[in-house]
Amino acid sequence: MTRKSVLGEVREVQLAIQLIQLGARLQFLESEVGLSRERLIRLYKEIKGVSPPKGLLPFSTDWYMTWLANIHSSMFYNMYQFMKIHSDKEKVWILIKSYKLYLQQIAAQDSEPILDFTRAYTMVRFFDSDMLQLSTCCRCSGQFVAHAHDHKSGYVCVLCRPPSRAGKARGAKRAAAGEVAALGIEGMGFGVETAPGGTGLH
Amino acid sequence: MSVANGEISREIGDINLAYMLLAQKLVKQDRVAAMFRLGVSSELADMLASMSLAQIVKLAASNFLLCSFRLNEHASMSAVVGEGKDTMLQQAHMSILMSARSLQTRKTAVAA
Ligand SMILES: [Zn+2]
Repeated sequence: MTRKSVLGEVREVQLAIQLIQLGARLQFLESEVGLSRERLIRLYKEIKGVSPPKGLLPFSTDWYMTWLANIHSSMFYNMYQFMKIHSDKEKVWILIKSYKLYLQQIAAQDSEPILDFTRAYTMVRFFDSDMLQLSTCCRCSGQFVAHAHDHKSGYVCVLCRPPSRAGKARGAKRAAAGEVAALGIEGMGFGVETAPGGTGLH
Repeated sequence: MSVANGEISREIGDINLAYMLLAQKLVKQDRVAAMFRLGVSSELADMLASMSLAQIVKLAASNFLLCSFRLNEHASMSAVVGEGKDTMLQQAHMSILMSARSLQTRKTAVAA
């Protein structure tokens, strides 16, 4: 991609705008959008009104295993897989599409999104690099996000066997609020990660 | 008896019509998302999109329900409905099970 067409560049800018609006981090933008870092930062500031947060993405696969996160991650990944099979678009567009579908689903359920866009993207990468897998629950036959190479037989999902503290509605809301607060994420959750001990991406 | 049967037929026809019109609207709005929500193949989605109102009305006036039960396993059904589950969790569970089902439908269609 040395010389880009004007139309191609418009597409890149549109892609960047969509991604920034969904809450993508700068590292993600740089790897997915063919625009200079300076232009991406300018776009980011213009759309969000603030500079993009600095710092690496110290995400670990463990986050996806905590109770509510696992439910949301599984919802998203099932949608992503569906979109991937039925759409001939580029991967990044499939990601955007399935993330929007996830947000719609969450809005219809009257709850808050727990999985932010960067986490959704990171999860897809974890799946691609064989660090995560979908395990089939032997009770409800739903497919849930699990560590790769976990034994698959006799797996029971987090919804069929919820932890006792999170079993009730109020407990679930508290757990969600606690999780979000613990990560220092507000609203849609685009804050800088502070959780220590994460397996870094890259 | 026959009056009751006539009423049931009419109710089935009403549901069929509402269902077909909704399905067509969904497909026209967003094809892939509609396939996800309805659990239909791409071929069927295209067909739904291209049907005329007259065709839909004719098809709807049937004694058979055109939409089928998607949670067709007792185990899945009781997992979702059971034990006075919180609405949000029930919806999330439904979403996960429905996605898998849509994929299975696709896989068998491809295999065949
Ligand atoms: Zn289960």
